[in-house]
Amino acid sequence: MSKLSRVTLPQALGYRGGQPMVAWLLHRISALGILIFVSAHIIMGFFLYATTGGVMNNVANAVTNVYEAVPTQVFVLFCVLYHGLNGLRIVILDMWPSLHRFKREAMWVQWALFLPLFLLPAFLIATGYKL
Amino acid sequence: MATQGITPRQVHPGGSKFEVYMWFYMRISGVLMLLMGAFGLVYANLVGGYGNLDAGAEMRWTFFPISFHVQSSKVEVTPNFSNPFWQVYAFLLIGFAAVHAYNGLRAILKDYVRHPLLLNWLQWLFAVLWAFMLGAAIYIIFVFSAQ
Repeated sequence: MSKLSRVTLPQALGYRGGQPMVAWLLHRISALGILIFVSAHIIMGFFLYATTGGVMNNVANAVTNVYEAVPTQVFVLFCVLYHGLNGLRIVILDMWPSLHRFKREAMWVQWALFLPLFLLPAFLIATGYKL
Repeated sequence: MATQGITPRQVHPGGSKFEVYMWFYMRISGVLMLLMGAFGLVYANLVGGYGNLDAGAEMRWTFFPISFHVQSSKVEVTPNFSNPFWQVYAFLLIGFAAVHAYNGLRAILKDYVRHPLLLNWLQWLFAVLWAFMLGAAIYIIFVFSAQ
């Protein structure tokens, strides 16, 4: 945070924004997660296939090994699934504003969809289940 | 509300509608990307992928339909997916994602970076990164996969 901000970190964390603030925060964090992963993946894929040997090929190999590891895959699954579901909720509430009286229920539906859709594949990936 | 001679305030008097268009674009591209991922997955399974794609390959194919993503599975990708339709499809998917992502990054930067010169330089830096990423994607889709 820049010194110009008039809000300190403890003040920001203590703000009682509740579920909607958590949703906004996770939407941002998952966006950054996807961005970093996809940009690194495309650029490293390019260097992996467009070069043979040399510095960039070794860098691409190393980065590829990092994001083919299980923790990275579970993290990326979380980011993409959360960002997509939250985005869908936002789009639906924007297109049908009369549904705003159900915004709390919409959050519940979002979590009810997200948790099984995330936890089951994450468990399968983490335990290395092969079909 | 038109009492006491209050005149309405214009936020961007005759200014650019870039932010408005970007607001629409973020939502439209987001939904489109979800639909394109779903369509690619359903189509791949229907034309012979079902039973030949393992779970990881299915997920990778949803994110981006390209032959490198299904190398671990016993599925023959080339006849069905190296044609121009799928190349353009893949390019559109990555194009929507790139603009969606870097526009979001621009919004996050605008929220946290106060110094105008630093903000400008960071936006240019990420624009260069965006262009390089898009060029790499074009190379992989059109030059490399066609081999």
